[in-house]
Amino acid sequence: MATLNKQAQKKIWAFLALGTFVGLLLLPLFLSLPAGASGGAPAPAASTAPPVAQPADAKPVEKSRDIWYKTEGPVVGAPAPKTTDGPKDYPRYNFESRVLLWVANQQHLYYGSFVLAVPIFCMVIEYLGIITKDKALARKYDQLAYDFIKISLTAYSLTAILGGILVFTYLTLYPTFFGYLASIFRPVMHTYALLFVAESGTLYIYYYGWDRMREGFLKWVHVSMSVVLNMIGTVLMMLANSWIAFMQSPAGVDDQGRYLGNIWHVIHTTLWNPINVHRIIGNMAFGGGVVAAYAAYRFLTAKTDEERAHYDWMGYVAMFIGVCFLIPLPFAGYWLMREVYAYRQQMGITLMGGLLAWLFIIQAVMIGSLFLTTNYYLWQGLERMRGAERYQKYIKYMVFVLITCFIVWLTPHTMVMTPGELKAMGGQQHPVLGNYGVMSAKNGAINTIITTTVLSFIMYQRGNKVPTVKWAPMGNAFLFGMFTVAYINIIGLAIYGYYIPANVRVGLSVPQVATTLSCLFIGVLLNSIMLKGAKELGPTAWGQVSVRSQYALIMLATAFTWMMGLMGYIRSSVRLFWHVNEIMRDNSPWAFTHTIGFAANMISFNVLFFWITILFVFWLGSLGIKKAPVAASVGQKVPVPAGSH
Amino acid sequence: MADQGSQISTGTKIAFTIGSLILATVYFTALDYALMEMQGLDFFYLLRK
Repeated sequence: MATLNKQAQKKIWAFLALGTFVGLLLLPLFLSLPAGASGGAPAPAASTAPPVAQPADAKPVEKSRDIWYKTEGPVVGAPAPKTTDGPKDYPRYNFESRVLLWVANQQHLYYGSFVLAVPIFCMVIEYLGIITKDKALARKYDQLAYDFIKISLTAYSLTAILGGILVFTYLTLYPTFFGYLASIFRPVMHTYALLFVAESGTLYIYYYGWDRMREGFLKWVHVSMSVVLNMIGTVLMMLANSWIAFMQSPAGVDDQGRYLGNIWHVIHTTLWNPINVHRIIGNMAFGGGVVAAYAAYRFLTAKTDEERAHYDWMGYVAMFIGVCFLIPLPFAGYWLMREVYAYRQQMGITLMGGLLAWLFIIQAVMIGSLFLTTNYYLWQGLERMRGAERYQKYIKYMVFVLITCFIVWLTPHTMVMTPGELKAMGGQQHPVLGNYGVMSAKNGAINTIITTTVLSFIMYQRGNKVPTVKWAPMGNAFLFGMFTVAYINIIGLAIYGYYIPANVRVGLSVPQVATTLSCLFIGVLLNSIMLKGAKELGPTAWGQVSVRSQYALIMLATAFTWMMGLMGYIRSSVRLFWHVNEIMRDNSPWAFTHTIGFAANMISFNVLFFWITILFVFWLGSLGIKKAPVAASVGQKVPVPAGSH
Repeated sequence: MADQGSQISTGTKIAFTIGSLILATVYFTALDYALMEMQGLDFFYLLRK
């Protein structure tokens, strides 16, 4: 009884710790509620107090109006500097300063995202290890969490170094702009630096204390430390986000850029919360991708079957986490774009329908390839399971559906053409293919792609299992009925969109997404329940999978990285010729938007640079291995998410 | 614990499938309608035109 109470107590503490973390993750949503967004009462509480006698020669405090919140506040900062092209404001090498800053920023962001995301996985997996009753499974979870944090630790030092390089780049190449930003964000920057110290300390205690805090109450202290670590990491990220959000949608300053004394207004600009949510989810997807690539690398270089089994499983778990966060990512992106449109409609048009629109076509290609690769990996994964051959025959139809939708998904609305080509085609839009360039077709295509991915996952869950619950025939019939009607509904709504006016058509995307999510949640949940106590046709032989599947993981991670670079560039370049939108103009010679080709080359360079350095980090990590992976013999049952095995 | 699916007749399987298709059709139509209404849009615009 005492043991039970102890167990229950431990669980309560664990739930409290996790609840705190989830609460912190949801904090941006609460902060975005209208009361918070309004900026609260505008300081003049003093106005109700009796007027204080001022000395006759005292200078009256100048007041001005907040450019976003429209509240009045005392002017406590200098106006945004008006820069001129010269060595004072833009000292330079014989090279484009913006490109140097681009590389420093992007590399810091890649590593920063990675080291913020991985401890979150680590926390969840370590917690799973604690609550799992099976000791062998618990050890495997613990080993996996340790593997995750080990990679993160090596990358952490590089993140700090890249942060230093970034600050020096700003100070030496954009001193006036950085001075202005620092004058406004002074307390935030100091808090950031202190939190960074706290993050480092917690991370090192967490990593080096792993073995010492292995058992009993100390283990709970250890897992709670990961909660603290993630809380600090999330706040750090949110503070850094406030700087870029301010540059895009400034608040807390007047129309001359003078700081009005309310630091919360400066931090909490209109785009801050959408960026926070988008980045948390994006970091998780990216982190999952990088860890999956690490596991693939270790799988490909493994010398024994045990190692191969362990890293195959690790790759699967990381891929699963990455894709779980990839699915809600477009919705967070949608919220961010909606807020951009609400802030400045012209900014939204520049992004989606103007100067930067072609970059969204590239994004579409990347998203399509991410889903194709995910499906390919799952199909390859069927090789691990005896009995999964029954599903092989369906793959060709799924390939057909995915490729067809992918082609529709990436068809552009209009093409860049010569006058001769334009004449030959009879207009900007192709008479047949032009029909696939509109949103109706694209919404139908992407929802079909996601629904098919869900179907692939359900097939994978069933690979070596046959449901034995009494209601299995009914459950199977329901799954069949739901997916059949879901496909009809998605495609039907897409066709319906061609026959109704645009203002009604835009609304159809909501039921289309809801249909996809219904398949995801109802389908996966129902399938998981059906598979409880299912008959196994054979064990899952971890490690016995084609090397192609591991290259698919590397492809997934590379696509995540490329897309992150692309979307970061889009978000940043939408400011056009402004350092701080409508407040501080960029008067350097590089205040123009690059060509798509140049931008794509730069993104590719950043991706390549990141992967070369991260490979070095992986290699470095492998040198210091003290703990051999927990033996998971070939064919041995090992835990996987979603209760699939 | 044999596969339950093999123990039921083809007729029952067909009945389950038809029932599921009807249920799913009702569910998705209701979902489409409700979500369009929530946005203040008319799902049956084309029929009413």
